[in-house]
Amino acid sequence: MPHKSPTKEVLEERKIVGIKDETITHVSSSDYPLTYPGEDHSWDIESFRRGFRVEFHQNDPYEASFSLIGIDASIANAFRRIMIADIPTLAIETVFINNNTSVIQDEVLSHRLGLIPFKGGHEGLHKFLKWWRKPTDESEINNSYYDNNTVSLRLEVQCEHNEKAAAGETDPTKLYKNAHVYARDIEFCPVGRQDKYFSGADAIAPVNPDILIAKLRPGQEISLSMHMHKGVGSDHSKFSPVATASYRLMPVISIERPILGKDAEKFMRCFPPGVIKLEKVTKKEAAKKGSGYEGHEGEDKAVVADPMRDTVSRECLRHEEFKGKVKLGRRRDHFIYLVESTGQWESDAIFLESVAHLKKRAQDLEKQVRNMVR
Amino acid sequence: MARTKANKAESVEPQSDVVMDEAPTSHQPERGDEMSVDEENEEVEVEDNDAEIEEDIQRVRLLPGSTPTAASFEFLNEGHTLGNALRYIIMKNPDVEFCAYAIPHPSEPKMNVRIQTFDGTTAVEALEKGLRDLQELCDVVTDEFVVAREKFVAK
Amino acid sequence: MSREEYQVPTGSGSSIGVGGSSSAPAARDYASEGGGTMHYICGDCSSRVPLEKGTGIRCQKCGARVLYKERTKRMVQFEAR
Repeated sequence: MPHKSPTKEVLEERKIVGIKDETITHVSSSDYPLTYPGEDHSWDIESFRRGFRVEFHQNDPYEASFSLIGIDASIANAFRRIMIADIPTLAIETVFINNNTSVIQDEVLSHRLGLIPFKGGHEGLHKFLKWWRKPTDESEINNSYYDNNTVSLRLEVQCEHNEKAAAGETDPTKLYKNAHVYARDIEFCPVGRQDKYFSGADAIAPVNPDILIAKLRPGQEISLSMHMHKGVGSDHSKFSPVATASYRLMPVISIERPILGKDAEKFMRCFPPGVIKLEKVTKKEAAKKGSGYEGHEGEDKAVVADPMRDTVSRECLRHEEFKGKVKLGRRRDHFIYLVESTGQWESDAIFLESVAHLKKRAQDLEKQVRNMVR
Repeated sequence: MARTKANKAESVEPQSDVVMDEAPTSHQPERGDEMSVDEENEEVEVEDNDAEIEEDIQRVRLLPGSTPTAASFEFLNEGHTLGNALRYIIMKNPDVEFCAYAIPHPSEPKMNVRIQTFDGTTAVEALEKGLRDLQELCDVVTDEFVVAREKFVAK
Repeated sequence: MSREEYQVPTGSGSSIGVGGSSSAPAARDYASEGGGTMHYICGDCSSRVPLEKGTGIRCQKCGARVLYKERTKRMVQFEAR
C-alpha cells in the first residue's frame, strides 16, 4: 500500500484531547506505525526534529517556564520525573549534636536542618563533589569521608540576655541575643581542596539566609556539626533540586459560531482574565453571508486572545447560550513546563541535566543489553 | 539510601512469584546510584574503583520463555521514567508488533519490557534500536532547548 | 565508664536473676563509688542542683521539688531525615 500523508487539518485534529462538559475524549496518542492504514508513523529523527519546538515563557534562576511542542507524553513525563527524583544535589545528611538545650527536639532539629537548600560554586558542586557511600564495613566509616564527597558545616548558637535592651521591652529578639536561630548562622568549614572550589561568592551557604531553624531563650544553646553529601530525590526529597517541576497541556478554545453582544461579555467572564478579548464586528464580516455576523456590525464579539492562561475550568460549557458555539480541548503534544529550582541549580540547567541524564541512562542500558547478548 | 535499604530487605526473602519461579533469584546489587554523571576525575580516588565495579553488574536480563522475535526483559533499578519512554520509542518502530512495560511489584526495583517483533528483526535488536533512538531524541531536545533559550535571552 | 567499656547486661551473668532468683544483686553503694554527687536542673529556676545520696529532692535555691536530669555530655548523631 502506498504511503499517503493525511492532511494537515486531520493531523492537527488528532492532537486534540476533547474536553466535554462531563467527559474527555481522545486521551491517548495514536501516532504509532500500525494505527492508521497506509500512514507512516515510524520513528524518524529528522521528522521529529522538524516537528519539535521549544518556546520559552520565563527564564529566572528560581523559576523557568517553557513549552516543549511536538513530543510524546511518555518522554515529557520522563524529563519531569528525572528533574524531581534523579538530579543530584548536596544536602545535610548527618547531624552530630554536641548540645541542644532548646525546646526543639534533636531529631526534629536534624530533620529541619536536612531540608534547608544550599548553594555553592557550580564547578565544585557538579564536578568536584562525588557520591559518598556508606562503607559495607561499619568500622571503616571514619575513613570514608573525603574533601570530595563530604562538606562540613557547624552551628554554634547561645542565647543570652541583652543588657542594652530598653526597660519594658517585650520583643524577644531585642530582649535576648540570638533568640532566633537562622540558616545564616550555619558556618561552612572547608576542608582540603574545598577552599579552591568554594570560596568567596562560591562558598557553600543556604540559598535563603532567613530560614528560621529554632527559637532560643537565655541559657539555651545549640552546638552541632553537620555533614553534607550528594543524593537524589528518589532517596529523600531534601535532595530534589526542584520545589516542583510540572507540566500542563496547552488548552485549546475554539469558538465555532459567533458569540456576540452581552453574551460575549458573559463568555469572557467564564475564563481567567486575558484568555478571551472583545472585538467589534467589522463591516466586512457583517457583509459576509452565512458568517453569523450579518446585521451585527459594531457589536462586541468574543475572540480567543491567549488560551495558555486558561485553566480549562469548563465554566463556559455550563451555560445554555454557549451550547454548540464553543469547543474546549487540550493539545496532547504541547507541554507547558514550570520548573521551580530550590537554588542549587539554575532552573533551565535542571531541565538540560534531565535530558542528559535520560541519554546517559539509555547509553548505559544499551551497553548492558549488548553485554547480555554476548 | 532508601533504595539500598529496600534492596537489602528484599534479598533476605526470596521471591515466590509464579513467573520468576524457574528463574534464579536475581542478585540485587548493593548500590547507591550508578548515575555518576561526571566520571572523569583528575585524581584517582578510592571510590572511583567501586564505581567501576558496580558498572559491571548486569542489570538487564532475558526472562525465560523468550524466543528471538518475542521476548521479555527484566531491568533492575529502573522504573516508569525509563520504562514508559522506552515503550513509546519501541512502539514507534514499524518492525515491532507489540511492546509494553510493567512494574510487577511496586516494592521490587524491577521493570519488565515485553517486545514482540515481526519476522526479519529480533526483540533484542528492537530494544537496542529503541535505546539508540532515545539517545538521538535527547540530543535533538538539548539542541532545540539551547537555541530557544538563547533566542529568549536575546529578546 | 567510657562508651567502649559499657556492655549490655545479659541474663547469663549473675547480675539480674530471672524469675525470682535467690542471688539478688547487692544494692550498690553509690557514695563509695566516688561519683557521689549528681547534678540536676531545677524545674523552676533552671539552676544546677547538686544532689547526694540521702538528701531531699529539692532545689537549694528556690525550694522547688521538680528536678530534671541533665542532658548527656556525649555527642549524639542523627540522620537529617
